[in-house]
Amino acid sequence: MMSIRRVISKIERNYIINNLKNEERIDGRGLWDYREWKIKHNLVASAEGSADVCLGDTRVITGLKYEVGEPFPDIPDEGVCTVMAELLPLASPLFERGPPDEQSIELARVVDRGIRHADCIQTKKLCIKENEAVYILFVDIYVINYSGNLIDAGGISALTTLISSHIPEGKWVDDHVEWTGGYITGETIVKELPIVLTFGKIGDIIFIDPSLPEELICDGKISISVTKDKVTSIQKSGAATFSIDDIQMLNKKAMELGNLLRDNLNLWQYKVNIE
Amino acid sequence: MTLLIKDEYPEKLFREDGKRLDGRDLKELRPIKLEVGILNNADGSAYLEWGNNKIFAAVYGPREVHPHHLAKPDKGILRVFYRMATFSVFERKRPAPGRREKEISMIITDCLEPVLFLELYPGTSFEVFIDVIEADGGTRCASTTVAALALADAGIPMKSLVSSVAVGKIDGKIVVDLSGIEDKAGEADLPCAITWFNEEISLLQFDGDMDLNELDTFLKLAKDALKEIYEMQLNALKSKYITIQEKYNGGQVKQ
Amino acid sequence: MENDELDSEEFEDFEDEEFTRDLVVPGEILTEDIVNFLPGRGTILNEKKDKIISLNIGLKKITKNYINVIPLRGFYTPRPGDKVIALIVDKNPVKYRCDINAKDFAILKPKNTFKRSKIKTRGRIEKDTGDTSTEKYSIGDILITKIISADRLNMPELTTVGKYLGKRSNGIVISIDTPKIPRVIGRSGSMIKLLKNLTKCHIFVTQNGRIWLKGEDLAHEKLLIDAIKKIEKEAHTVGLTDRMSEYIENEKKKRGIN
Repeated sequence: MMSIRRVISKIERNYIINNLKNEERIDGRGLWDYREWKIKHNLVASAEGSADVCLGDTRVITGLKYEVGEPFPDIPDEGVCTVMAELLPLASPLFERGPPDEQSIELARVVDRGIRHADCIQTKKLCIKENEAVYILFVDIYVINYSGNLIDAGGISALTTLISSHIPEGKWVDDHVEWTGGYITGETIVKELPIVLTFGKIGDIIFIDPSLPEELICDGKISISVTKDKVTSIQKSGAATFSIDDIQMLNKKAMELGNLLRDNLNLWQYKVNIE
Repeated sequence: MTLLIKDEYPEKLFREDGKRLDGRDLKELRPIKLEVGILNNADGSAYLEWGNNKIFAAVYGPREVHPHHLAKPDKGILRVFYRMATFSVFERKRPAPGRREKEISMIITDCLEPVLFLELYPGTSFEVFIDVIEADGGTRCASTTVAALALADAGIPMKSLVSSVAVGKIDGKIVVDLSGIEDKAGEADLPCAITWFNEEISLLQFDGDMDLNELDTFLKLAKDALKEIYEMQLNALKSKYITIQEKYNGGQVKQ
Repeated sequence: MENDELDSEEFEDFEDEEFTRDLVVPGEILTEDIVNFLPGRGTILNEKKDKIISLNIGLKKITKNYINVIPLRGFYTPRPGDKVIALIVDKNPVKYRCDINAKDFAILKPKNTFKRSKIKTRGRIEKDTGDTSTEKYSIGDILITKIISADRLNMPELTTVGKYLGKRSNGIVISIDTPKIPRVIGRSGSMIKLLKNLTKCHIFVTQNGRIWLKGEDLAHEKLLIDAIKKIEKEAHTVGLTDRMSEYIENEKKKRGIN
């Protein structure tokens, strides 16, 4: 394929569409196949949890840091988890320096919502003392190489980070927090594993996991987060419109492929045990 | 906002057997792993693991200058952007670039400029992005080393590579390549870099106090360490091609 | 759509005897014998003028008394006369702006997109009507063009008038590292002939690192793209032409195409 440009040539567009019409992809996949996943965990010693996730050529590194602070007044017994994403300019000539742009905010928001509404993070267990001290978790996603479908890669890397995390355990003594010497690990923090799946749409053709050339000519995309038996968040982006039938089909497909992916990746293998 | 575990330094920086806390001798470098060409979108790229430091570098260029008013009509410009990930340090760093990052970006730019032929590319820019995923002392030296490799990998004509290392004084002894703890708890720290085409110093900073004799020892020690790093850089650049050559030439490759 | 005319001297760089295949990196000393050798392409005398050093990562090559370094990595610098595949990224009523994989965009003026045919009607010279408008091509078109002027300060200028030049409305364009283009062509076009014969595709290779190709069907095109990627990866090895022919035959059997 041609190197990355903002303008995609007409013949490249035709080539991608002709491939899709044959139910094939330019990289040899079928319409419902993911690219290869490669996951490494806990590679950053300074973070309380980290993951390095490759989806094809897309590469995302995520780390978790924690702080102890006061809870929000409306949820006094729940910890807080925030997701931030940064599209590093080293990842692609299409990314520019400067404050977060729409694309990086969308990435952070979609990953955040996928996790938030899925009973994934056990926020109640992140409370040290009601009204006084809770954990505040920062999941920071850094895009190292951009080759399409950041949302799925970001979602998996955020999950792996949370599963591999090990946060010092605190207890409330008199009027301050003290370290017990133990750690809170992934099993305590994470319960459900919501998987976010992104589908691209070009013309009438819908397919999963758009690669970069496909993403650049996509009319639109739809990201669906699923747990084992529930849909937990949907985000449609781009200028395409989806019919009701399409969306019903995609929800079913997302459920089916999400369960398959969850089994294949077996993310619980990345949890750490600290004695 | 507080952390449960505090960032504390040990009182002694040497073990009882006279070695440093991580088991190194006075003149020993931490283990270094270098790789080139790992990011396929960039024109040139490199990755480095130096002790616990983990750093990515990518080069784009020559390309149009953005914003346009920075372009110079008589020569190209080199811009280096050094950034640290929020989770790269003990206490979470704020996401926006700080003063320290801007200063380091500037000194690395000044360090690398002498080896390039910027006057051949008027009106363009070469951009080097350095992202520190994990920091553990000596990131400016590590960043310079890896940025030079990324420039070479991009095929940008260079007079030579640049290597960099820090020398310092901890508990009264002069040591090479300070780790994070030694950097913070030690007495003196002297990062320096060398451009190999004229064997002159291109980056030099110093914090601490020492007499003139000590300074001489510092620079002598630094030069030996820099030679070691230079060899590693050469190997990293060549090994990518040599492994492919060896596969098809029956192992007969001239270096 | 042939490439046979491109096998100029430059394209033979890679195909040489084994003893020239020393891998060098920037700053590496190529020779200290400056009496018998002169610095050639990709090399420079050091400051003391007693050594010749390399400027690039590449392969050392000695031709007569010149020491050259053939780069393995690098960017494209436009030169007049080069054929390049251009992508139109912008246009206004008087010119097209084209991406040619160089640091600047290139300019294509409408007068360079038409043949200068002056039609005489009743003794009066009539101007070609489309001569001054940019209606002929649109944004996103792929053109095979020739550079008519290029220097360091000004934007390169292109023309689409000439043999094999003009718009391509089918096929696909891929890009590879610019310094590896000579390897895809091979000595006197040997590699490109091999690729053409074995995959039955049309190929047009240009100096800016882009390759246009068009085959019978998608399977053949994919095979050719994979083959070119393999050449790019192994450009600095010897015996590549033989290996490629073997590779393509094997892949054909594997993929069940002929």
